Amino acid sequence: MATATQSSWHVLSRVCASIFGSYAFSWGFIALGASSLIGFGTEFHEASSLTSMLGFLIYLAAFCWAFIAASLARVWVVLAGGGALMTAVGWWVSRGG
Amino acid sequence: MFANFRLSFAWLHTWFGLVLGFVLMVAFFFGSLSVFDREIDRWALPQTRIEAQPMPSFDKILASRFTTITEPDPEEREAASKRVTQPLPEELTPAQWGAYTTHRDPVLGMYVGFAVPNSTLPDDYAYGEITIDPRDGHVLPRDQLALGSAFFYPMHFSLHITWYDIGYWIVALSAMAMLAAIGSGVVMHRKIFREFFTFRPGKKLLRSTLDLHNLTGVVALPFHFLWALSGLIIFAGIYFPVLDRMMQPLVEAHEREEAAHTGLDTHPSGKPGTLASVDAMMTAARERWASRGVPGEIGFLFVNHVGNSNTYVSIYRDSTDRVATAEGLHFEGSTGRVLFEDPPAGPIETVNAFLTGMHLQQFRHWTLRWLIFVGGILSSICIATGFIFFVEKRKHAHAAEGFGGSRWVDALAVTTVTGMVVATCFVLVMNRVLPEDLAHRDTWEKSSFWLAWLATLVHATWRSTAVLQARMSNAWAEQSWAIALLGALAVVLNAVTTGDHLGRTLAAGYWPVAGVDLMLLAAACVAAIAARKLQARAAEVVSVSPEVPDYA
Repeated sequence: MATATQSSWHVLSRVCASIFGSYAFSWGFIALGASSLIGFGTEFHEASSLTSMLGFLIYLAAFCWAFIAASLARVWVVLAGGGALMTAVGWWVSRGG
Repeated sequence: MFANFRLSFAWLHTWFGLVLGFVLMVAFFFGSLSVFDREIDRWALPQTRIEAQPMPSFDKILASRFTTITEPDPEEREAASKRVTQPLPEELTPAQWGAYTTHRDPVLGMYVGFAVPNSTLPDDYAYGEITIDPRDGHVLPRDQLALGSAFFYPMHFSLHITWYDIGYWIVALSAMAMLAAIGSGVVMHRKIFREFFTFRPGKKLLRSTLDLHNLTGVVALPFHFLWALSGLIIFAGIYFPVLDRMMQPLVEAHEREEAAHTGLDTHPSGKPGTLASVDAMMTAARERWASRGVPGEIGFLFVNHVGNSNTYVSIYRDSTDRVATAEGLHFEGSTGRVLFEDPPAGPIETVNAFLTGMHLQQFRHWTLRWLIFVGGILSSICIATGFIFFVEKRKHAHAAEGFGGSRWVDALAVTTVTGMVVATCFVLVMNRVLPEDLAHRDTWEKSSFWLAWLATLVHATWRSTAVLQARMSNAWAEQSWAIALLGALAVVLNAVTTGDHLGRTLAAGYWPVAGVDLMLLAAACVAAIAARKLQARAAEVVSVSPEVPDYA
């Protein structure tokens, strides 16, 4: 890879962000999405199925984005930070908000 | 990560495709075999070579069989003992009974779910399973391995790595990498319509390998994508147990609401109860389906809260005539009256059930079954050519630098492409060679598979030193010969040990065994042709000037 200009630490961090950051982000999406939909009156299984099916596609998008985004710091903030935030808000919504 | 987005995607495609491609080979090859898992079972278990049977009488056969399952299977107990906060008691209480069959099953799978007390999971069960001959109810020996449904099938989604379900997670990450590789592959190549018609087998190995990689990738693109995605969705409960893990109050509120609506209690009452004739319930279910214009057999029978006053029986029609799974009919255990009939699923649940049903193929449609098999083989070819391309592209540079990278990739590629097929043929041979009444016959068979696979790794590593000099490893050709010999030998051994040679099975139209034999012979022929060509190729001193773009 003649074009590889990044250190191996950078690459490792990208790979971890793509695998684990995307997982946190998808988890948060499902937590917030499912609890909100149920809160808005969507049937329980419908809400759960919809968000977990979309969760895999969100993971795929986040996974790819982690490699093409210019700033690695932004990748981590959005994926891990966003995932944690959505998880927290989703939990709060599920307890009756 | 790189100068532009195409180069980043090329990196993603190359390296994730390489590292997880070895797992994907296992998933797609054994997934393809799983399309015919029941047929492979018949080949491997000659005493079950009978016609498919419907669900037998519960009152006469199943009830007494369920009570013979007194404890969870050892590995289930072992796994459950890691999920509890208090030591698992010696005696566990049976809580659920289940029996399932399909239009391709001459034998019946039965299980008992034992409640796991003090579990960290809600509603946790450890399962004990048996397989019976539904004609008379006799239990098949536990150490007779159903090679298709109990070995190849779980291999394709769990790799048989049961430690903390780590195998499921490795396969899931690989499936995600597959989806990303498809997306990045499309971005990398762009001339997708032309790839559809481009295969230049006469060109240099590098070019024709890439052509075949692109052709198999593009021709079956929707298959690759949908099967990887639906495989993930089937196990969504394992990969994203979000609601169960962090929203218990919401889950419990929903369960209470649902139980109030359906009359089906979520938890056992704790008071002893009786079970009315389940045969009468089965008859009532069949009559109800017939009156709706969808007559059919019972695919799944489930008794919940066994022995309790609030026990109920759920009966599901088999999925012979449709893709999505069925709506259940639920009976009160003590009286046999209908408590509840599942309404048609909502739109999203229907999509979910369709994706799951498409992947699991319980329906009767042999053309579609074969197309799905071909799709799986095309995926396998796409992955295998990816490895070959990786090696062919780099081996000259690596040889010049004295770097062993290509050599190791080649060794692993041989092991996961030809080696896996060698091990598969070998376990079929061992299945026919080991004495029928050998104790722990299943363990012997599984061990022979892993040992044969390990042997192919050793062989491939030894032979791959040729790659260090930028030549082709002889392991490809030699393992292809092994496939040809073992495949043909398996067919001969089947004829000798069971008498079911092709003349007899074809004349009788017994396709499960005839089909496996014919596929083995076809594989043996293809392997022999490939071996001859590979030998001719390995003899050449290849000099290749790379003629492909640098981004791959």
